[in-house]
Amino acid sequence: MNKPLRIALTKGRLEKDTVGLLEKIGFDCTAIREKGRKLILPVPDGNLEVVLAKANDVITYVEHGVCDMGVVGKDTIQEMQGKFYELMDLGFGRCRFALATKKGSTFYGGYSVKTVATKYPNITRKHFESKGMDVEIIKIEGSVELAPLLELADGIVDIVETGTTLKENGLEVIEDICPISARLIVNTVSMKMRQAEIENFVRLVEKNL
Amino acid sequence: MKRYDLITPEGTRDLLFEDCLARRKVEKTLADLFKGFGYSEVVTPGIEFYDAFSGSTRNFRQESLYKLTDSKGRLIVLRPDTTIPIARLTATRLKEAATPLRLYYIQSVYSNNALLKGRSDEVVQAGIELIGGENHKRADLEVLCTAVEALASFDKENFRLEIGHIGYFKELVAQLDLDEDTVEEIRMLISSKNYPALNDLLDEIGNNEITGALKQLPSLFGGVEVLDKASDIYANDKITGILYNLREVYDRLSCLGYEGKISVDLGIVSHTDYYTGIVFKGYLSEVGQSVLKGGRYDNLIGSFGKDLPAVGFGVNVDSVARHLERIGESPVSKPVDALIFGDKGYVVEAMAHAQKLVRGGAKVEHSLFNTYEETVAYAKSKGIGKVIRVGSDITEEQV
Repeated sequence: MNKPLRIALTKGRLEKDTVGLLEKIGFDCTAIREKGRKLILPVPDGNLEVVLAKANDVITYVEHGVCDMGVVGKDTIQEMQGKFYELMDLGFGRCRFALATKKGSTFYGGYSVKTVATKYPNITRKHFESKGMDVEIIKIEGSVELAPLLELADGIVDIVETGTTLKENGLEVIEDICPISARLIVNTVSMKMRQAEIENFVRLVEKNL
Repeated sequence: MKRYDLITPEGTRDLLFEDCLARRKVEKTLADLFKGFGYSEVVTPGIEFYDAFSGSTRNFRQESLYKLTDSKGRLIVLRPDTTIPIARLTATRLKEAATPLRLYYIQSVYSNNALLKGRSDEVVQAGIELIGGENHKRADLEVLCTAVEALASFDKENFRLEIGHIGYFKELVAQLDLDEDTVEEIRMLISSKNYPALNDLLDEIGNNEITGALKQLPSLFGGVEVLDKASDIYANDKITGILYNLREVYDRLSCLGYEGKISVDLGIVSHTDYYTGIVFKGYLSEVGQSVLKGGRYDNLIGSFGKDLPAVGFGVNVDSVARHLERIGESPVSKPVDALIFGDKGYVVEAMAHAQKLVRGGAKVEHSLFNTYEETVAYAKSKGIGKVIRVGSDITEEQV
């Protein structure tokens, strides 16, 4: 048999959803379910090898071709950019990017330069650039919601799923930026050199979404 | 103040020994091939005026250029590409030269990449440009044939040359009345085979034959049957001509013994402002990016003031060299044939003996030790098989 196709999965929720999908296709994923601390796991009946990685690293591995495919959120793709094929919207991991502020405050208005806190500086910059708006962006690593509460920032750009965290902290969404979901990405050379295998995999995925 | 005197700038590296051998091997293989097909070498300056790389047909992203200024305050860039300098020199110094011109180059290009992505800012490229010539199809065939020969010389079995035609995409979008930004957005989505977003965008534009064809464009890659599929989806005179042209090239390359190594991708849509005809990419298995890129660019030299069609390609020498090292096809550095030691009072004689052997084509090292014993120990540690001792007479010892 050929060398297995290597697919990088974003650890956490996307990993679980993807494994669910692989099982629905009919692949035996016990190795992943009982992975322990292992990071490279075989799915022999699919001739696949699953690599578990952080979201940004999924893109890096696929871009360099050390993994043929990857499952990663659109948020990471937009933030990281990069050269690969974004073949499929897998439909799970749905949420959205949104701009949120303290309840009742006016973000758009007045002439003062606004400050925005975010984990996603590139997306934030692009969004406000497209509006021709000058904003100051501050990168925050942990709970971005804190920034407006501590009055470091006027607003935040972040992933919003249900909006509960925002509400509990007295924040509200004032603008949706774009929807997000999990994507299947493919290395540009793998797509060509292993076209039949990848197309076959994609067909199975499509059928079982 | 922090000093950076012990490291090289991000994205650059020193090449030592085996890495150099691998790179030189690739350079030599390519130079021999290019010379074999009648190409002559040119060298262009490492720095150029920024103006050469900005303009409608030669738009380089500002962010990716290394910039400095000259003594008059003019903006200078580190050469980000060699085709444009060659177009410049063709339109100026070679303006009166008889065509076709066959030029080749092997030199570094520079780009300012994002940090910590594992990308080199300095890459050696080798390539050819076939400039002028009556018959474009013959020129395309010659350059494609040279490209496949280059790929085959790196890795006989595990390579692929993929051909497409920029005109297919251009003709389709020309049928839709779209502004530049939308065309660029469509181009990016096709180039990244982003089906979901492409479908959404084209649905917004409207449902017709053309948007339908554009939706399928990212999937139009694979074997030669792709061309039939394309003509089933949508065809006008121009597109029929383009598809016929591709099939002809495909058949001709197959006749040259490359059957099974050539594939088609109509979704190659990079640098649409620069390429005007056939475009192609070369791949090696296990190398995550294309190692060869090229195409026909009939307007570039004209933008420097001399109207000449041209077609060419460039090879990323560094990634090929790394691949050869990985698959064990690169040369290994061997110890010298002999180590030469001069006894006390025979320094000149020893040097003279080394000189004689080197002139005769041997590879030797000249011992810098004071004693013969140390010399032998050194030879052993370096794997040098023979020590020659020069004294009142000359003796050899295998160690």
